Amino acid sequence: MDEEPERTKRWEGGYERTWEVLKEDESGSLKATVEEILFQSKRKRVTESHGQVRLGMMRHLHLVVDCSRSMEDQDLKPNRLTASLKLIETFVEEYFDQNPISQLGIITTKNKRAEKLTDLAGNPKKHIVALKKAVDTVCLGEPSLYNSLHLAIQTLKHMPGHTSREILVILSSLTTCDPANICELIKTLKSLKVRVSVIGLSAEVRVCTVLTRETGGSYHVILDESHFKELLMLHVKPPPASSSSECSLIRMGFPQHIIASLTDQEANAAISTSGADLSLGGYFCPQCHAKYTELPVECKVCGLTLVSAPHLARSFHHLFPLQAFTESPTEQLQKDRFCQACQGELKDKSIFSCPSCCSVFCVECDLFIHDSLHCCPCCIHNQTASY
Amino acid sequence: MLELKRTLDAKGHGVLEMPSGTGKTISLLSLIVAYQKVFPLEVSKLIYCSRTVPEIEKVVEELRKLMEYYSKQTGESNNFLALALSSRKNLCIHPEVSSLRVGKEVDGKCHTLTASYIRAQRHSDPDLPVCRFYEDFDAVGRQMPLPAGVYNLDDLKDFGKRNGWCPYYLARYSLMHANIVVYSYHYLLDPKIADLVSKELTKKSVVVFDEAHNIDNVCIDSMSVNISRRTLDRCQTNVETLQNTIQKIKETDATKLKMEYRRLVEGLKEANVARETDVYLSNPVLPDEILQEAVPGTIRTAEHFVGFLKRFLEYLKSRLRVHHVVQESTPQFLKDIFDKVCIDRKPLRFCAERLRSLLRTLEIADIADFSAVTLISNFATLVSTYSQGIKTLLFSVSHFTLSPLDIYPRILDFRPVTMASFTMTLARTCLCPLIVGRGNDQVALSSKFETREDFAVIRNYGSLLQEMSAIVPDGIVAFFTSYMYMENIVAAWYEQGILENIQRNKLIFIETPDAAETSMALEKYQEACENGRGAILLSVARGKVSEGIDFVHHFGRAVIMFGVPYVYTQSRILKARLEYLRDQFQIRENDFLTFDAMRHAAQCVGRVIRGKTDYGLMIFADKRYARADKRGKLPRWIQEHISDGSLNLTVDEAVQLSKHFLRQMAQPFRQEDQLGLSLLTLEQLESEEMLKKISQIAHQT
Repeated sequence: MDEEPERTKRWEGGYERTWEVLKEDESGSLKATVEEILFQSKRKRVTESHGQVRLGMMRHLHLVVDCSRSMEDQDLKPNRLTASLKLIETFVEEYFDQNPISQLGIITTKNKRAEKLTDLAGNPKKHIVALKKAVDTVCLGEPSLYNSLHLAIQTLKHMPGHTSREILVILSSLTTCDPANICELIKTLKSLKVRVSVIGLSAEVRVCTVLTRETGGSYHVILDESHFKELLMLHVKPPPASSSSECSLIRMGFPQHIIASLTDQEANAAISTSGADLSLGGYFCPQCHAKYTELPVECKVCGLTLVSAPHLARSFHHLFPLQAFTESPTEQLQKDRFCQACQGELKDKSIFSCPSCCSVFCVECDLFIHDSLHCCPCCIHNQTASY
Repeated sequence: MLELKRTLDAKGHGVLEMPSGTGKTISLLSLIVAYQKVFPLEVSKLIYCSRTVPEIEKVVEELRKLMEYYSKQTGESNNFLALALSSRKNLCIHPEVSSLRVGKEVDGKCHTLTASYIRAQRHSDPDLPVCRFYEDFDAVGRQMPLPAGVYNLDDLKDFGKRNGWCPYYLARYSLMHANIVVYSYHYLLDPKIADLVSKELTKKSVVVFDEAHNIDNVCIDSMSVNISRRTLDRCQTNVETLQNTIQKIKETDATKLKMEYRRLVEGLKEANVARETDVYLSNPVLPDEILQEAVPGTIRTAEHFVGFLKRFLEYLKSRLRVHHVVQESTPQFLKDIFDKVCIDRKPLRFCAERLRSLLRTLEIADIADFSAVTLISNFATLVSTYSQGIKTLLFSVSHFTLSPLDIYPRILDFRPVTMASFTMTLARTCLCPLIVGRGNDQVALSSKFETREDFAVIRNYGSLLQEMSAIVPDGIVAFFTSYMYMENIVAAWYEQGILENIQRNKLIFIETPDAAETSMALEKYQEACENGRGAILLSVARGKVSEGIDFVHHFGRAVIMFGVPYVYTQSRILKARLEYLRDQFQIRENDFLTFDAMRHAAQCVGRVIRGKTDYGLMIFADKRYARADKRGKLPRWIQEHISDGSLNLTVDEAVQLSKHFLRQMAQPFRQEDQLGLSLLTLEQLESEEMLKKISQIAHQT
């Protein structure tokens, strides 16, 4: 690419025939088809969610980001690296939002090596800072799938059996430079029950197909930036917990946030166990009274998992996901055409009804209920009413 | 299926062209087997000819599945006997013989163990080595037919081992009553072998040639004799050995020679009586009338015959010594040989037969050593028997404009009842043919003779490969027109540093004329594709890679054809062939050359798509492909997908299109997506709509 800098211009980038997707409706307007596309894509995410399956709640995910030469390709704007890092940032936020008691670590690979960008940790801020910094890295050489997976295993294999062990690889290059036979490593991954998923930025590579198939992960190749984002967001939802994973009771601490005032005689300013910041208040481990400024965290002293009750509550819905609503054309609806949630008129072609209480919703509300509320408001309303 | 049924009904020939991986084999098999079941009297035998041993095995496996399905559905075991036949090399179970590697050696060794005179000798001298498998078969096996079922080569071997019978002879014997026979098409086309194996096949059989695009070449191969100086030298030693043996025998056992002499006077009838094992030195298509005649007096005695051979040999040598190439018709040749060394036409005709008889009399068992002299005598017989065109033996008439499919029947002389080219119904367009006609600097890309040394063309070809190596995952196969051209180009790329750039993306493997080296390269190539490193295989359009090796899925995500693979037009053989085609069937040279080139290009390119779930790029890097006469000769299933927009692309444009294509193809593709389009469930198949569609198609054709 270096010898042709003029290719950087978007108008020379190629023939992106966006118009070919569009079709005119009878009256010659494009609006209908565009809406159709949007509608379909919205709907897809809902229907793709699994039905009534147990999902793993505590996740340990290693994100492997390719920083090889091919990341400089400009088919994502401004280039693959910047675009993907930006998307990963949103992914990290979303990930911790949906999985508050899970952990994440980032690994970069370039020039035949793999390096840890951040350790496995439950704090989104740290990751995001690191990602922001990574934008300036120079992309060079080939990635090494083997080295990065190997590095990820080193930490993942010590994670307890009731949590999920996952690796998500963002691979841009079509080649990998490995020091040893990767098939052996795939076997190890399989035996350690590590789920490896890959998002390819350019095309389908055989070794990734094998890797994901063997370890039970998913393999997707992006079409464009929005598709990339969609694929990333698929990984926000926890994977179904395998039946073989151990079930165990976990001791958890629920520390309360104590705000000590300077007037309080007993309170001394203390350095939190995990970080270097000096503060007065904080969370104290109920077992050993070590101090932390943030939750969730694993106590450095006694190893207790410290969470707050809202965190746990937010993760709880993964255990009992809400059933997908059934879709039906609007014409069939006999009752008033109003959405039960937002009370707006139902104008779209199809409506969605909760299978248990038969209330009808519009698309927007359906998405909102599944993505954020995780419970049907009408069912809850009926329950409380009956008491 | 419909076309096939029509062909069968009309009892004529048919030519069908179908894309690879669409289930040619199984649809052919299932219909013909069904036909056989319904009309057992009309179609008594199916002969399925394939090219290589693995392909034969594949066919047998398909057949086995079909038979299992039959027995499962009908609930009765059917009495079909199907078997595969291959050479002794693949079927021998004799511990010593089968350890030999080369086919000729195995044949020779087998012959030393099973020839009739050896076995006759053994009666007097029981210490002689003998193949017990053959003996057992000969003793018991003939009375017991092979139980019905489907046998591949390994099954035959197992069966042979269990019963202690020779699988090769067992298979050959069972051919007669088998319902389905699968073997290499040499057995049917090569007159030397066909006479042995396929003689007994009945008229009412259906013959299927799979992968028949090279069938004319096989015909030519089987009828042409290649004589080099080395063969002649070896021949000379052979003749000397013969002479010595004759001397020896004369001293010890003169009666034998006399007996032979007497036999020859009586005529060649004994050729018909020859036992099956002796027929190793089969005579090349001797017309029957010759067999009725007696061997001419001049070569009846052994010494005279050897002398005759010597003279003939000398003559050939002197001809080969000439440096400029002489082309002459058969009568010319015969006249010349008569003038120079006084050899008449008639003795020449009997040359092969005489040699056979002599070898038998001399009881020389290991015939492998005598291959050279056999070759020469075969040549002599061929030359004198066919007064028309020794180089090509093809027959046909008629003249139309040529399209690829109808050229086959014309070359091969038959009138097909049906001729159909099928395309695939695809749920997604899984192939993407692109014609790259220009480089980024607008220089026309072509492997034309005038421009092939052009620096700019070579550089553009290099940049095409380099760009492709960066965007295509796993394996790329690149085909050049010849080894020479490939070497030149690769050397130039090396100097320009292009190779180095490519190697950053993928490893490079090169096909060489050496088979062992190539198979090694192939193995490593597949390994590199498998573990994600990615690889490029540089090969030659008429080489081994282009012929028999499939690049399924990730082994070939893209094929690049650098140039149009015309044959070397200055070659004598080709010239003779072209001339013959022109004189005999009014096919213009250019038509044939283009046809041949496009056939090979299609062949190369077709290596990547081996089924509906597979996908691949096909890049034709030569501006000449864009012309209608070339494009029109590609198979229909490729032509369909060439849009007008992709006819004359630059390298950059091609890269953009391929990137898009590869991303599209990488999207998950499930079986359900094919449902209703290229895959039908039973309900869908029986639905009103589909039935209507089918009958519509039937009426159209």
